[in-house]
Amino acid sequence: MSSDRSLVQIAFYAALIAALGLVPKIELGLAGGIPITAQSLGVMLAGMMLGPVRGGLAVALLLFLVALGLPFLAGGRGGIGVFYGMTAGYLAGYFFGAVAVGAIMRAMRNMNVVFGAIVSGVLGGIVVVHAFGVPVLAYKADMTLYNAFLVGSLPFIPGDLIKVALATLVAHTIARGLPSAMLSRS
Amino acid sequence: MISLYMAGNSWAHRLPARVKLLFLFVLSLLIIPFNTLWFSAALLAFVVALYATLGRRGLEKVKVVRPLLWMMVIILLVHAFLGDIEQGIIAVLRLLAMVLLANFISITTHMEALMDAVEPLFRPLRVFGISPMRMSLAVALVIRFVPVLLAVYASLQEAYKARTARSNSWRLLAPFALHAIKMTDHVSEALTARGGADGFDRS
Amino acid sequence: MNDTSKSISFDHVSIERGGATIISDVSVALPDQRVGIIGRNGSGKSTLVRSLNGLLPISAGSLVVHGVSSGEGAKKLARVTGFVFQNPDHQLIFPTALEELSFGLRQLGVGKADAKAQGLALLKEHGIAELAERPVHELSEGQKQLICILAVLIMEPKLVVLDEPFSSLDLRTRAALRRKLEKLDQQIIFVSHELDALSDYDKVLWIEDGRVKQLGAPVDVLAAYEEHELSGAHLHFEGVARA
Ligand SMILES: Nc1ncnc2c1ncn2[C@@H]1O[C@H](COP(=O)(O)OP(=O)(O)OP(=O)(O)O)[C@@H](O)[C@H]1O
Ligand SMILES: [Mg+2]
Repeated sequence: MSSDRSLVQIAFYAALIAALGLVPKIELGLAGGIPITAQSLGVMLAGMMLGPVRGGLAVALLLFLVALGLPFLAGGRGGIGVFYGMTAGYLAGYFFGAVAVGAIMRAMRNMNVVFGAIVSGVLGGIVVVHAFGVPVLAYKADMTLYNAFLVGSLPFIPGDLIKVALATLVAHTIARGLPSAMLSRS
Repeated sequence: MISLYMAGNSWAHRLPARVKLLFLFVLSLLIIPFNTLWFSAALLAFVVALYATLGRRGLEKVKVVRPLLWMMVIILLVHAFLGDIEQGIIAVLRLLAMVLLANFISITTHMEALMDAVEPLFRPLRVFGISPMRMSLAVALVIRFVPVLLAVYASLQEAYKARTARSNSWRLLAPFALHAIKMTDHVSEALTARGGADGFDRS
Repeated sequence: MNDTSKSISFDHVSIERGGATIISDVSVALPDQRVGIIGRNGSGKSTLVRSLNGLLPISAGSLVVHGVSSGEGAKKLARVTGFVFQNPDHQLIFPTALEELSFGLRQLGVGKADAKAQGLALLKEHGIAELAERPVHELSEGQKQLICILAVLIMEPKLVVLDEPFSSLDLRTRAALRRKLEKLDQQIIFVSHELDALSDYDKVLWIEDGRVKQLGAPVDVLAAYEEHELSGAHLHFEGVARA
């Protein structure tokens, strides 16, 4: 694949993650008053479609833009401040999550797309993301890991599972409709 | 795209971006051992005072932390429940101070100046084929794509509404992705047509 | 005969896409300054013109564009051939018009400040200096397409290819952009389904099923095409099915 195409794809998924976080209409609903945006859905998709390297780069690029001050995180947040906030760990988790999703997707490329997407979505898109998010939250808020998990992760897991389902649906659609775009499986 | 940056010519605007970034980095390490209520409160007061030096418009920018507040309330509640509310207050004060201090840089530093300031850090990435030129191209592409994606989604929503009288559905997501991903082939073709990421006479 | 440094020549050119031969054995010389290309949907017009700037490789034969032969590589072809696509949203790479224009110059090795100044000058020349810093997604389709055309022209290509660039524009904007094209010194290849737009071109090339059906003066070719396509229109649905 040409390097131009690679660059455009990476930028595209960075933009997709931003767009999914920005459109209030794509909010998936409320879990205990907490609006769930589709942002981490974008992270899963980046890994599922682009594979570990480009998927990780897409997230890194998005975070770079956020650091430059662009309001590309859910709810229009941005700026260097977000990296000092209590959710900073989740941002790191987005990066490693996308890499993990991509790696798992690639490892399972000869299996059914739906199966691969579910496994990679749950492990990379949920477990890895929270594995980075919870300890940082615990540190910043001076809480135990358990308490950080209770307030920072548990309420979001139902929403995350919905997002895995949606990401799987999208991956399935793309794999049928535009297989050349599934770089993780080529 | 509205970035956090606030145009202006204050002392903070004139300070080199690298100095500001370095100050933030050093300060964030220095404060670690000082874990008292007074220190944290003083730190927050100092940071808010920085905003105040930018004038009224600057002070209003303190509002950027609003989305964090509900989470801070939860942190306080957890600590109150466990009986060490003071630790909770310290944690929240520090969070506010550090987030505001970091955002102070975003507010007073133009995006391009920030990009130039961190460029040397990315030089080692050249070995992986990530040149500064490619980075700035990628940054521009993202800023260009976001509104296009929002427009694509809005038009799908319209088409959906016209036929179902409902404006939103998770059903739109897959067609949206399919539609949007197809666009990347066109854009990369257009990039190649104008000499590609590396240009003609540069490489 | 023809000055090959200012013309296009296809010599037994074939082009494959996705395993199928889309253009088969085309030999044609196009020395004229303004050439229109017509043909049914799916006949291979876009495929043919995409080879001119190396976007699609040719699989057989040889192609020479203003002295650059296809054997010299896609990048060389891209340097002499500017390409304007159908949908401006698919080719605007930058968030603002000025960045879009200066990008082309940066590609040629022009410095940042110079590129900006020249970009601004070109926008001024076309009376749209006020669009320089506006986000492109806020512009009208016509303004966007004009910027795409300028972004190509600023690189001073020897040949400008336009593949149905006006299909989403209103009559007035089409006329205005067409007038701008008329003033250009470069060779122009214009792919269009609007036959009237090509009536004052130097030559019209009619492509059918990946081959040259006819090349000649607009009066002759356009009339023949119209006659051929419309005479039995109610009988010929395979064209639509194919497209
Ligand atoms: N990426 C592709 N892979 C395989 N075949 C393709 C591809 N793109 C186009 N084709 C096929 O090539 C043929 C010619 O397509 P082309 O786009 O060149 O036609 P066209 O004359 O430009 O049509 P239109 O007037 O609709 O733009 C069509 O049969 C089309 O299905
Ligand atoms: Mg075409």
